[in-house]
Amino acid sequence: MIEVASLRKIFRGGRGLGDFSLHLESRELVGLVGPNGAGKTTLIKILSTLLPPDSGVARVAGQDVGANPRGVRAVVGYLPDVAGVYQDMRIREFLEFFADAYRLKEPNRSAAIERALIRSGLSDRPEDFVEQLSLGWKQRLLLAKTLLHEPKLLLLDEPATGLDPLARITLRQQLKQLHAEGVAILISSHILSDLEDICTRIVFIADGKNVAEVASAVAEGAAAPTIRCEMEFEDSTSAAELILKELVSGQVLEKSDRRLVVELRGGPKEASAFLQRLLAAGILITHFDARGLSLEDRYRRAFGRESR
Amino acid sequence: MIRLVSNPMILKELRQRLRERRAWLLPTLYLLVLAGTVSFAYYATTDLEMRGGQGEVQGADIGEAIFLTVVITQMVVLLLMAPVFSAGSLTIEKEQRTIAGLLTSLLTAPQIWWGKFVAALLYLLLLLFSALPLLTLSLAFGGVDPVQLLKAVGSTVLVLASLCTVGLWCSSMFRRSVHSTAACYGFVLVLSIVTAVVFGILVSQWESHNPLARAEGPPAYIQAPLFINPFYPLLALLGGGAFGQFSYPVSSWLLFTAIGCLAAAFAMRRIQRSGDQL
Repeated sequence: MIEVASLRKIFRGGRGLGDFSLHLESRELVGLVGPNGAGKTTLIKILSTLLPPDSGVARVAGQDVGANPRGVRAVVGYLPDVAGVYQDMRIREFLEFFADAYRLKEPNRSAAIERALIRSGLSDRPEDFVEQLSLGWKQRLLLAKTLLHEPKLLLLDEPATGLDPLARITLRQQLKQLHAEGVAILISSHILSDLEDICTRIVFIADGKNVAEVASAVAEGAAAPTIRCEMEFEDSTSAAELILKELVSGQVLEKSDRRLVVELRGGPKEASAFLQRLLAAGILITHFDARGLSLEDRYRRAFGRESR
Repeated sequence: MIRLVSNPMILKELRQRLRERRAWLLPTLYLLVLAGTVSFAYYATTDLEMRGGQGEVQGADIGEAIFLTVVITQMVVLLLMAPVFSAGSLTIEKEQRTIAGLLTSLLTAPQIWWGKFVAALLYLLLLLFSALPLLTLSLAFGGVDPVQLLKAVGSTVLVLASLCTVGLWCSSMFRRSVHSTAACYGFVLVLSIVTAVVFGILVSQWESHNPLARAEGPPAYIQAPLFINPFYPLLALLGGGAFGQFSYPVSSWLLFTAIGCLAAAFAMRRIQRSGDQL
């Protein structure tokens, strides 16, 4: 669905994309993760035909974004990070306008509008003005508008920005549903837990380059090569740290007075063995939680703790 | 042709514009101003004291005075309004972050431009045509030919269309409405005032060198700066009297058409590339 090879787009300030490559199959839901200024938005804008690349290849559904932008727009739905709405239009008018802008003809046009109203949960208030909607509802309306022409690929740039937890949950459910319906999705987000929950693959991007790709928990299940153990103790963590030092394959990720987060090579078996050793040493443990390496851990590993 | 009219941008723009409070407020104020100037023109023409006690008043004098007053006043008012309706129409999409939705839809840059242009011009035409009853008042008094009236309206429409394209060009260049509107007002100022000042300087130099040719009026090359003055084609159409020397309305129309075409081409090109302004 997306073929990007050696893509370059450098802005005056120096940031942008440099030699970026990515391949996304149909039915994939790929998360794009990286620090601010890494090039996520630039990549999405190029794929949505808003920005021309300086060089390289960018194809969507086999069509070059520079040579055939209209062909690309016909199969892409793009939702920007801060998307505006026409506040002074009614909900139905808003959808009708974009149905016309996507050249939908009757009877598909009416069907698409009704489908969008149902999808956004606004079918009981189509005559309300858009300005009457809360941010969460506006985001649902925007997503429904983006899907009016039934795109094969969705490009979402920080779609959960500013949404409350419930709206975020709803958005995640909608994206899962769309993915199940066969829509390929490329989503950039700083909310790693959301991506971890829905994505089949995560692409790490830094300084305009693809620095790593990992299959997310959704795809890889519990088979993580490392396991993260979070522990809280009745007393200090020093005794536990001594035991950890004896283990060649363990390292401390986080440490405070009575809390310790460590990473062990292996899986649940190794975590159980570690717990048994702690208990055998007479250490009082009030909390023990072992799970595969989270996306947040991977992110920290890839980009460090410093924000840019 | 059908696609020009069925452009969804036109319906959207008109819907939004007519929902604004100024949609009914501006025509009201506009007609009040014109009614005031017509009343003033009528009394100034018929009041013997104001005329310095000069003889009888002919109906044709009243008709001409009303016609001249209305066409000039409405041109002044519409010149002030044209930047408001055109120079903000693309920048507002940028300010409200809605332009990405337009650019990634199947609407082309010319379609987006056309929708914005038609909506801006139609609103100005609404004002212009709402004042037609006042203009036709001059026909009742006489002294004005219906063809003259049609030409005056046509000339005003052409100038306004040209200014709307310039306003849209400014709107495509800038990110903020305040900047694009200021730039468009600057352009209107150059066309209306600077050209008149340049003409004044040129004509005074010409008269000092050609005292005998004064009665014939300045030649075309001296009048040339005025060809892009919005008032020139109107004054040229009226002919006779003090404006008899302005006799090149067609040149002026052609120049305004050229300005409009150039501004439209630049604006469409800029809309196509406005992804980098997001």
